[in-house]
Amino acid sequence: MAHITKSAAFRLGLMVFAALAVLTGIEFVLALFLNVWQLLLLVAVLKAGLVLYYYMHIYRLFESDPTLDHNSYAYKLATNRMGLWLFFISDSFIFGGLMIARINLLGLTHPELNQYLGLAVTSILLISSFFMNRAETAMAHGDRKQFVLGTAVTLTLGLLFLVGVVGVEWQIAPFGPGDGVQGAVFYSMTGFHAFHVLTGVIFLVIILRNGLRGRYSAEKHWGVEACAIYWHFVDVVWVFFYPALYLVGTVIQ
Amino acid sequence: MQMFFLGVSLAGFSSILGGLNIIVTIVRLRAKSMTPFKMPIFVWAALATSLISLTATQLIGLSFQMVMLQRLFGMGFFDLSKGGNPILFQHLFWFYSHPAVYVFVLPGLGIISELLPVFVRKPLFGYRWVAMSSLGIALVGFLVWAHHMFTSGMAEYLRVPFMYSTLLVAVPTGVKFFSWVGTVWRGKISFDTPMLFLLAGIIVFLLGGLSGPPNATISTDLHLHDTYYIVGHFHDAMYGGYIFPFFAAIFYWYPKMTGKRLNEKLGKLQFWLMAPSFMVMSLLMMRVGLLGMRRRIADYDPALGFDLYHVLMTVMAFLTALGVIVFFINVIYTQRKGQVARGNVWNSRSPEWLVPSPMPVHNYDHELEVVGEPYDYGLPGSRYVKFEGEE
Repeated sequence: MAHITKSAAFRLGLMVFAALAVLTGIEFVLALFLNVWQLLLLVAVLKAGLVLYYYMHIYRLFESDPTLDHNSYAYKLATNRMGLWLFFISDSFIFGGLMIARINLLGLTHPELNQYLGLAVTSILLISSFFMNRAETAMAHGDRKQFVLGTAVTLTLGLLFLVGVVGVEWQIAPFGPGDGVQGAVFYSMTGFHAFHVLTGVIFLVIILRNGLRGRYSAEKHWGVEACAIYWHFVDVVWVFFYPALYLVGTVIQ
Repeated sequence: MQMFFLGVSLAGFSSILGGLNIIVTIVRLRAKSMTPFKMPIFVWAALATSLISLTATQLIGLSFQMVMLQRLFGMGFFDLSKGGNPILFQHLFWFYSHPAVYVFVLPGLGIISELLPVFVRKPLFGYRWVAMSSLGIALVGFLVWAHHMFTSGMAEYLRVPFMYSTLLVAVPTGVKFFSWVGTVWRGKISFDTPMLFLLAGIIVFLLGGLSGPPNATISTDLHLHDTYYIVGHFHDAMYGGYIFPFFAAIFYWYPKMTGKRLNEKLGKLQFWLMAPSFMVMSLLMMRVGLLGMRRRIADYDPALGFDLYHVLMTVMAFLTALGVIVFFINVIYTQRKGQVARGNVWNSRSPEWLVPSPMPVHNYDHELEVVGEPYDYGLPGSRYVKFEGEE
């Protein structure tokens, strides 16, 4: 936001990213040595909270001034924000449903998957979130060059995540979609999530194109903000899906 | 089959986005002086409905897509031979499909509360409670889904909590009934077609509501589950909460939409064809259900002695259908030679009736100002809204 300097905002983004990276490391080590689902859930909630507050700026929802003119840009912006967040609430029900299906069908077990690949794609998505935040912050301070750079990096990392999950993980997994409930759960959860990542990638292409044509400014860049918080939302979903699919409990025999 | 599932998912999108649109519009784009408790009561009902369709609809989309994935790729979510769990499907399905009933009913109940004061010329009794009861029904509606599954073999410990949460629905619904009775009480009732449908709606919904607790109570439900009693209960709830208010709303707002008023005589004919025959049909359904008639079967043992009941029900169902045909005839007749109605046909206070019918392309040229309570009918000198420049 405009009330802190650009370098301070960048620094904040970096610090949040560092905290998220440390928590992800803790999560991975926890899963190896002290596999208690409550602890893993706690770490995931902490990570999600950091992303929701610092990257998705959930507090902005409550900043709207009701005395504003209904036709002013600020009022319309706050209305748009509310619409987008309602969409997230709605969308989280579908991911929640998948999670409930997973808990019901697999319990405290997880499919046999490549742990290094899992950690790698999680890190890729986390780094992409950092760059997305950097791009948005840059645009909020009118720095178009940094915005384009950040968006392009996010886009590349998003594609890399898709390649990692769909192109590699789906191919090397020792089971297919029809093999038991683990196949059903794993392919549906990663599939639904990957589809959202794909949507985010398309969204990124659009804002990159608009950004290159100079359609955004420090004052008016709702498209960038919407894309950024959507991207972070998809990241938050993975924050919960990653431990649910890779870490919790023991490997299914 | 796959097309059907995809179609349902697509319809789900429209329902979700429509709900989203309505919520944001209500919260953010009201006229400035239109504070929440000055809104028309139907808007509260629409808000509660939209909250349901925004969230619960995702689960029906998900459960149908899971079935589709199971059929296409053999993913064994609900397939016992692969370790899946068929009960899981029922949970996901009913988590949407019970609140979905309220998606039908809440707007209907909102219409009853909205139109009743117009036809009895009295203020709506307990406006705030009615507004809150819509949200209450929507909220409790999320916590009752497993009452459809008492006999499904789901986890035993879920049965009692879901019984109590289901009985809790009667509280906000009861608030609405008190309000309606209090509104009609000593009012100057005019029996136009919409009012007839409203009264039928209230009575039929009362039957539907009172036949609910026996289904919600586990001990009686074990006998009633999958019988015609359920069919009768559901018909009563749907006709009382949805079909009759729906016709009332069409008769009421038809002049607003088209500038022509639907024929009263044909409307009353439709009403007298539909309402009594429907009542007989649904009560007989409950009767044979109590005697043990199963639903979803094409044939039954004649020794059970249901033949006469079934013949009566069929005749009554055809009479109800005839009423609907009369309605379509009415619409065609009105479009050809109907009575032109440009003004405030029902002498309503609501702002939509203060502009010409049919609605101009831009409904209100200036922001309207709310100067009083919405339903103060019969109070001299009171006013709901004022347009800019008006005295």
